[in-house]
Amino acid sequence: MKESLGIIEIKELTYTYPAATRPVLDGINLTVERGQFVLLTGPSGCGKTTLCRCLNGLVPHFYNGTLKGEAHVAGLSVSKTPTSHLAQHVGLIFQNPDNQIFALTVEKDIAFGLENLGFPRDEMRNRIDWVLRTTGIEHLRQRAPHELSGGQKQRLAIASVLAMRPGILVLDEPTSFLDPVGADRVLTVLDSLNKEMDLTIILVEHRLDLVAPHVDRVILMRDGKIARDGTPWQVLSDEADLGGVGVPRVAQLWQRLAKEGLAKGPPPLTATALAQALRSLFPQGQASKARHRQPSVAPTGLGELGAPIIEIKGVHYTYPTGVKALDDVSLQIRRGEALAIMGENGAGKTTLVKHFNGLLRPQKGQVYVSGTNAADRSVASLSRTVGLAFQNPDDQIFSEKVEDEVAFGPRNFGFKEELLTKSVEWALGCLDLVERSHQNPFTLSGGERKRVALASVLVWSPQVVILDEPTIGQDYAQKKRLMSLLSDLRSQDKAVAIVTHDVEFVAEWKPRIVLMSKGRIIADGSAEQVLTSPTVLETASVRTSEIARAFQELSDLGFGKTAINVEDAYGMIAPSLRGET
Amino acid sequence: MMSMLEGLKYTAISSPLHGLDPRPKSFMVLTLFLATVLYSELIPLVLVMLIQIPLLAVAKVVGQWLRTLRGAAVFSVFIFATNLLANYIYQEQKLTASIIVSSLAMTTRFLALITAFSVFFLTTSPDKLSLTLQKAGLPYELCFAFITAIRFVPVLAEEAQTIMDAQKSRGLELEKGTFVRRIRNYLPILLPLIINSIRRSLELAEAMESRAFGAVKVRTDLYELRLTKQDYLVFALTLVSLSVILYLRFFM
Repeated sequence: MKESLGIIEIKELTYTYPAATRPVLDGINLTVERGQFVLLTGPSGCGKTTLCRCLNGLVPHFYNGTLKGEAHVAGLSVSKTPTSHLAQHVGLIFQNPDNQIFALTVEKDIAFGLENLGFPRDEMRNRIDWVLRTTGIEHLRQRAPHELSGGQKQRLAIASVLAMRPGILVLDEPTSFLDPVGADRVLTVLDSLNKEMDLTIILVEHRLDLVAPHVDRVILMRDGKIARDGTPWQVLSDEADLGGVGVPRVAQLWQRLAKEGLAKGPPPLTATALAQALRSLFPQGQASKARHRQPSVAPTGLGELGAPIIEIKGVHYTYPTGVKALDDVSLQIRRGEALAIMGENGAGKTTLVKHFNGLLRPQKGQVYVSGTNAADRSVASLSRTVGLAFQNPDDQIFSEKVEDEVAFGPRNFGFKEELLTKSVEWALGCLDLVERSHQNPFTLSGGERKRVALASVLVWSPQVVILDEPTIGQDYAQKKRLMSLLSDLRSQDKAVAIVTHDVEFVAEWKPRIVLMSKGRIIADGSAEQVLTSPTVLETASVRTSEIARAFQELSDLGFGKTAINVEDAYGMIAPSLRGET
Repeated sequence: MMSMLEGLKYTAISSPLHGLDPRPKSFMVLTLFLATVLYSELIPLVLVMLIQIPLLAVAKVVGQWLRTLRGAAVFSVFIFATNLLANYIYQEQKLTASIIVSSLAMTTRFLALITAFSVFFLTTSPDKLSLTLQKAGLPYELCFAFITAIRFVPVLAEEAQTIMDAQKSRGLELEKGTFVRRIRNYLPILLPLIINSIRRSLELAEAMESRAFGAVKVRTDLYELRLTKQDYLVFALTLVSLSVILYLRFFM
């Protein structure tokens, strides 16, 4: 056995999947000390997931392929130790909470690893009690997995792995399927495991806003190599392009100010830190100059709008299970309008949009689509007007070629061959998929499949486009592209609605926001209005954008509170710092 | 038809019947089975049915049992009608009280069997069942597969619904066209479901490896089967009932 300084020691590691032509890990060198909390990030396909799999031996034992170089974890050689043995030192937690829960009750699932290792029953009981407490799910002990929320399932997955008492936890995008409340709880658990139990944690995540304040080291990967490695401040204050990775908004603002010499020092990573840093920039007298200054960018959510295209009047809906999902909801959507429907899981968002194209029918109340009562029309007929794209592309893709997948809708609607070809070409062009048209969609990356699913709805040019969670699992660059596509659609006089938890995306796009809680609409207004109303946001368990939070803390300085994104904030601050009035 | 399966859906509540070891409980249910098969007259079959109702009441599963019966209603009518028809054609060629009674008896037999099934499956957790099967010599891997299948039923049902919604939103109309066309209409639903299941099984395999599956030869289990006083009592009572049933059937 090899004695090493770090709990993870990787030297010149290169790995190629079977049948792949290019290595996915290319000469990785890495040492992680015990007790570090490491954020591993980088654009889609950069090798993050493969590196995680390597840490507990899934690579190379489960996947075969060729591995060169050395990797030692807790003093054990990864290539020589079977995964079942490494599992006691490294706990691996995956993205999809459902696909790592085996048993029919919470306590039995926690026991699974211990049973496999042949632990005596008393020791199992002790450890189950301990991890239930540590992860805060004691009250769920006898529950079945399908009764848990996403966040509870992911905390169960952590508990189950933790029961084997590993020294290292590796988590591959554990929060991307969760709502912000669930994600927050998971991060809190990780924080306390790291601080109180000295556990080493490797966390893969795209959303730096969410995690940067928790970690003490950031590793940025690109093309199978480590591109940047250091403290969050070191990595994020580097002004060079971080390649598809989103810098936290508060740090972005600081960087822009720093570029003009208006601010100095390491960028703040949290709203509170930004507020403090900005406060120090404004001596008492100067702050008043900023007073009443409005953001220079005009709100884009409420431009000129056309006729109403969807009208919901007093709709009630209760599921057969007895869950009341919609409770007297009324809503109007106009042509050319951009809309974001927000609120915690179970607030009724998806139930609401399923009423737009008739997948669900109101038990009380009416739905009108382009002026006619939807009750008299089939789902197929309504879908011509209202295109609904679901969250997970894998729940709809079934064709062997991208172009056939995209043509499925228009074929069902009876498009003539000439129009069909034209529409498919147009949709593929819109989503940058022309080169992929003859490929099998299953060989494409997750982001590309998502675009195929989007194209397959846009193709028949519906007047209303509804996207359920379009930003999930998308890296920063992909989100940027999505935003410009949404703007294009609006300029074609379509109504665009998204159902989302992604508050930073919304703060940048600035649509009208419909906020839901417990089956009701509790707020409906411009992004500036809704995202700066702490009380309603709290009721809906939505956390506002980082920038908006910073400016709430600065309200005593006399800043307007309507800054919700970097652009607004810059427009509000930079002129006063330059001494302009 | 699907609601007939309702009777097999276990919910974790506590009752004397839930607390029983699956071994004496299965002996009890098998005895009930035997009684329904040995007797073909209406009165004893009705008795076998009625005996079970207090058991269901003690186990607090009467509601679920009634839902099962409602699901089985169509099938019961079918059994009654075919029996009546068969008796009519092959025996008397006219409608008599005796063929109506014997058709009723056959229907009662079916309902009594379903009830016995309900008594067992509504009160026995799959985890205990799996342990019992392992005790009976079934390999652990097989029992694990059985548990995992049960675990993923709700997940698959939800996924199937989402896929159906997604394809309907792209203009798919399931009830349109000829018979062959209608079957083809289900392809866009079945294919993603199958592909997702394959992807899921790979992810599950990875997660199993990461949880030390197969690390030691003799694995332990969080739960254990232990016979209590109640279990022996049930065993003894069942044995007495079995003797009575056999005696009445063969020696009276």
